Amino acid sequence: MLAFLVRRFLSAILSVVLASVVVFGALLAVPGDPAAVILGMNASPEARQALSRQLGLDVPAPERYVRWLAGAFRGDLGESLNYQRPVSGLIADRLRVSVPLALGAALIACLIAFPIGIFAALRRGSFWDPLLTSLSQLGAAIPSFWLGLIFILYFAVELRWLPASGFVPFAEDPVRWARSLLLPVLALGLGQAAVMTRMTRAAMLDVLSQDFVRTARSKGLPQRGVVLKHALRNAMVTIVTILGLSLSNVFIGSIVIEQVFALPGLGRLALTAIGTRDFPLLQGEILLYAATIVGLGFLVDASYGLLDPRIRYD
Amino acid sequence: MRNRWILSLAVAVGLCAGWAAAQDPAPQAGGSLVVAITAEPPGWDPSASTSQEIPRVVYDNVMQGLVRFDRTGAIVPALATEWNVSDDGLTWTFRLREGVTFHDGSAFDTADVIEKFERAMDPDSGHTNSQYYEAIESVEAVDENTVAFHLSRPSSSLLYNLARPDSVINPSGTAETQRTQPVGTGPFTFAEYVPGSHVRLDRFDGYWEEGLPYLDSATFRIISDPNARFAALQAGDIDMIGVALLPEQFQQVLSNPDLKGTQGTGTAEITLAMNNTREPFDDVRVRQAITLAIDKNAIVNGAMFGLGTVIGTHMSPSEGYYVDLTETYPYDPQRARELLEEAGYPDGFTIEFELPEPYNIERRTGEVIAQQLEQVGIDVELSVVEWATWIDRIFLGGDYDMTIIGHSEPRDINVYANPDYYYHYDNPAIAQLLEEAETAPTQEEATAKYQEIARTIANDAVNVWVFSSPYLVAVKRDVYGFWTDQPTPAIDLVQVYRAP
Repeated sequence: MLAFLVRRFLSAILSVVLASVVVFGALLAVPGDPAAVILGMNASPEARQALSRQLGLDVPAPERYVRWLAGAFRGDLGESLNYQRPVSGLIADRLRVSVPLALGAALIACLIAFPIGIFAALRRGSFWDPLLTSLSQLGAAIPSFWLGLIFILYFAVELRWLPASGFVPFAEDPVRWARSLLLPVLALGLGQAAVMTRMTRAAMLDVLSQDFVRTARSKGLPQRGVVLKHALRNAMVTIVTILGLSLSNVFIGSIVIEQVFALPGLGRLALTAIGTRDFPLLQGEILLYAATIVGLGFLVDASYGLLDPRIRYD
Repeated sequence: MRNRWILSLAVAVGLCAGWAAAQDPAPQAGGSLVVAITAEPPGWDPSASTSQEIPRVVYDNVMQGLVRFDRTGAIVPALATEWNVSDDGLTWTFRLREGVTFHDGSAFDTADVIEKFERAMDPDSGHTNSQYYEAIESVEAVDENTVAFHLSRPSSSLLYNLARPDSVINPSGTAETQRTQPVGTGPFTFAEYVPGSHVRLDRFDGYWEEGLPYLDSATFRIISDPNARFAALQAGDIDMIGVALLPEQFQQVLSNPDLKGTQGTGTAEITLAMNNTREPFDDVRVRQAITLAIDKNAIVNGAMFGLGTVIGTHMSPSEGYYVDLTETYPYDPQRARELLEEAGYPDGFTIEFELPEPYNIERRTGEVIAQQLEQVGIDVELSVVEWATWIDRIFLGGDYDMTIIGHSEPRDINVYANPDYYYHYDNPAIAQLLEEAETAPTQEEATAKYQEIARTIANDAVNVWVFSSPYLVAVKRDVYGFWTDQPTPAIDLVQVYRAP
């Protein structure tokens, strides 16, 4: 088990480094000069060259990358070209928005998807199953940004119950913090819930058709015991996999939602970094995105052994 | 006839706004204001980047120069109380306002002025637009409260350039930190900047104008999506949109009892730019044909809900030297087809037309133009270009067929003297006229020269100047004292107040 985890961990780090190489290369390939974006239209070529030197952009690209990577391993992500602030601080600020947004959306998705998915699986063939299945299909088809706009128009503009945009830090005012995140969390979480409902239903159906469930039932176990002790426990491996995937999904999906609700989260920071060709900032963000997704995969893999003792790692 | 009706409606709206101003309640001190801005600039120093988003927040509010634009575009005293010019036009003397302090507590004096303009004159200092200060040879302190600018030649645009956002003055020795922490003499201090979220300005108690500002604080919230911005106003999260309000949103503002809207003049010319050295645009007949093929009134009425003024050269009606040249090549598709045939393109040709992604009004205007060009046989391939690419490849690299952008900088007709500018228009006569305008002994003569430049580029059909964007503002009912015109890109809050 330990050997597996070490192997898995090393390959995770390799994936993250590879991701950063790809992003760095892609940024070099697209046109756009950070100095030109910073100075704006009507800037003289001399001024652009001077700023390029000041920003360290006259250093050859491979050297710049190696320097950045060496810094990153020491925990120093460098300084943003556009903001002239340390990248790590900028990212940390944005995590205060993106982490609650992603976790909140994932929580909503779980709270809706697991009960409904299990219920639909148990009521297979009844009136409920096709209704819930088509509802979840509809939910999966609605893009989260559209849902967000509808929420804004109804709950913010029409009813004025909640703000249409913006973010209030938790430390400043917890109530306004919750109010500023409620609509984005719902917009992001509901779509994810729909996808997860379908997956949970399929996982449960799969397990319910297994021999051990039939055996449990024939032993005369009550329905409750069959579902909770036998079926759900065995469906957990699939459900945890779905959960890991969905956390990655909401993390990425929040880029769009942050734009709709004007939230100062990681997604908007990434968009700004791309727009201004802010290499160090974007590199730092991609590192975080890649590490999060790879890290979630790692956790999911590691949890299999705990959830199902039949799974061996060697 | 229909056009005239829409025009008169626009005039009526303008008159209502003027009438409302006369009925405004008395100013009240206190309160705060939340204003939307569209984008985050790279730093907050107007002398370090030409991004128009910087002065939009800090001009006059935080940073001030010797002189400034007032709400009508007139140049009025700011940190200088009076000035005079020597008879030969070579020495400008400014008397500095006494008792002015910067936000950091230091006193404003001649040393600040001298350091500022020595930096501005030096092309290697990284100061923006050093060409504005080209004529200045030296700046010296005459006495404790007087500075003299010695020029190498007369400069009719000096005072105008000293009122521009580039010319704001910071305490000496702070040039390096202005980008992250602007310090000036304005009525508001730069109190807080949360990247991606907002900028907060707080009332500066040591401000030199008696009784100003009225507001205790002003917050500029960064909301880049136009729908999110407007929803925030409708939901009451923000109090004012003073930039990039869309025409269809303006219609909704007028019918919303909680809001009021004003329509004024701006300085942005929506410009269909053509690569003058690239085939087929290297033939003046083709450029004329393209101008003739475009129905500007239809664009303003259709895509802009009648908001906007059709123009015929690189000037907006609000600018001092404006001349109406809309009749140079009026809409005439038949004549356009004839000219294309004369130029050797009886079957038209195919061009690439690239629209800048962040600019909604330019994009929609471009789409209508593409359709109109198809009507005279020109095959247009439309595409949308991301902003950094637009700046790099199109604007700086000059590698494109046709694009469209709003040139919002006031008095920027001088770009036509530069053959390296992205239009690639090479006419030495323009540089000559520009110099004559610059050294003209009177403002009238300077104006005449500028108008000649305007006529020359219009006759050469260098670009198609489609319309001048209106300056649209939407605010909550209780907000007063804001600028209804936009002589320079700034959301000036110095005299803004709230009165229920």
